[in-house]
Amino acid sequence: MFEYFSKYWFDFVWVMTLKEIKARYKRVFLGFLWAILNPILQMIVIGFLFQFFIPMEIDNYFYFLFAGLLPWNFFSYTFSKCTPLMLNERALIQKAKFPREALVLSIVFSNLFHLIISLLLFVILVIFVGYLSIYKIIILFLTISWLVFFTIGISLLLSTLYVRYRDIKFIVQAVVPLWFYATPIIYTRSLLPASIASALRFNPMTGIVELFQFIFVSNNLIFSLDAIIPGILISFIITIVGIHLFKRDNEYFDDWL
Amino acid sequence: MNKNIKKVTRKFNNPLAIEVKNVTKTYVLRHQKPTLIENILYRPKKEIHTALNNITFNVHEGDRLGIVGSNGSGKTTLLKLIAGITKQQKGSIKVNGRVVSLIDLSAGFHPDLTGEENIFLNGLVIGMTKREISEKKQAIIEFADIGKFIDAPLYTYSSGMKLRLGFSIAVHSDPEILLIDEGFAVGDENFREKAHNKLVGFKKQGITIVMVSHWLWELERSCDHFMWLRSGRVVSKGNIKVLKKYQQYFNHP
Repeated sequence: MFEYFSKYWFDFVWVMTLKEIKARYKRVFLGFLWAILNPILQMIVIGFLFQFFIPMEIDNYFYFLFAGLLPWNFFSYTFSKCTPLMLNERALIQKAKFPREALVLSIVFSNLFHLIISLLLFVILVIFVGYLSIYKIIILFLTISWLVFFTIGISLLLSTLYVRYRDIKFIVQAVVPLWFYATPIIYTRSLLPASIASALRFNPMTGIVELFQFIFVSNNLIFSLDAIIPGILISFIITIVGIHLFKRDNEYFDDWL
Repeated sequence: MNKNIKKVTRKFNNPLAIEVKNVTKTYVLRHQKPTLIENILYRPKKEIHTALNNITFNVHEGDRLGIVGSNGSGKTTLLKLIAGITKQQKGSIKVNGRVVSLIDLSAGFHPDLTGEENIFLNGLVIGMTKREISEKKQAIIEFADIGKFIDAPLYTYSSGMKLRLGFSIAVHSDPEILLIDEGFAVGDENFREKAHNKLVGFKKQGITIVMVSHWLWELERSCDHFMWLRSGRVVSKGNIKVLKKYQQYFNHP
């Protein structure tokens, strides 16, 4: 009845995304301010903690840390929230036929909206350090596209699997902290033994986080493709599998809810 | 005279609204929540339940089909398949025109959003475009009769108000095929009256209706074609005689 990428499809995704953003702050005093306050508070707390208690041999550690946390938080919040999504939205799914991928996309895009607010705040801070340039903004745009693409893929995959296998939620809960430490957010790969550093290349988040760190805390103009090529490859595979499973199963979701 | 004949022949050659061909719908029976670990460790045996077994029928435009059958005969599954909420394992279903189902009318609202925001959300879910919703918003609000609550979040609504809002959105979406599950109009007397009038209006407009009910008098009043389902198979279909047979079967099985 509906086509992918038709006007109705875009309207649907748009309205669902607005709903997601609005509903989040609707009943909260100061409403929208929280969208800005949250990342600022996080910046302060993390900056403090790591600056004074766990010193690392990394320049501008606060900036370094925040550059990695931004994409990681977006990524982990989104796919954790999307995993039980179809079950949480069963009332809608059992009501009518509509493009169900919009459920996942609305979560991704509403979190992207929050990521962009945090990024804008961060950019204001980074200007004082003076690393940004048009060149890096272009790379930032490409990196965010990769991040969003991968996040959509893994969210589709996990939300589809969860409809059939309810222990996926526990697996995800267990994997998130492990994945965090397997991504060079609080450390750099150069501090690790070569074999482990090399193995981490196959985690797509490594490439994404390192690109963010390159954009915001490095004064180089050249970045290494070391973690980027395997990362793009693997995120591509995961996303293709996610889209395929979702397309195959989404018409039967109701049977399992 | 000539004109009249034309009209009559047209009625008999009405195009198909719903074409159901050899449809089989099965469900995997599960006694526990399925898990991935279990699936990897040992393949659990699958118990298959056949809800609909090789069903074939047509509904022409303007037909009003009433479906009877005891609990578990597959009536609701059939409505879900026509509505596109789920999909058959075998066979094909072709639907021409916008389907709107009056199933679970008060479901699918977001409790934190206002009535107006929910109209947009729900309208899109049942297949209206943004423009259509904008155009019909006022009519929807008036018919639902929720007054100043329209700017209040949905969690402040009574269940009757949610039901009225859901019904109002559904009937204002210009359905071409209307699916009605049993007990859809469970509001107060006033609302039931309004809902009934709306359905009579649809009947006059010649909208295709598929209706499921245990109330035979309700079906008799609203429908002109009937189908009897038992354990996922069609026992008989046709005119009002089907209802009589069904009644007899129940009195002297």
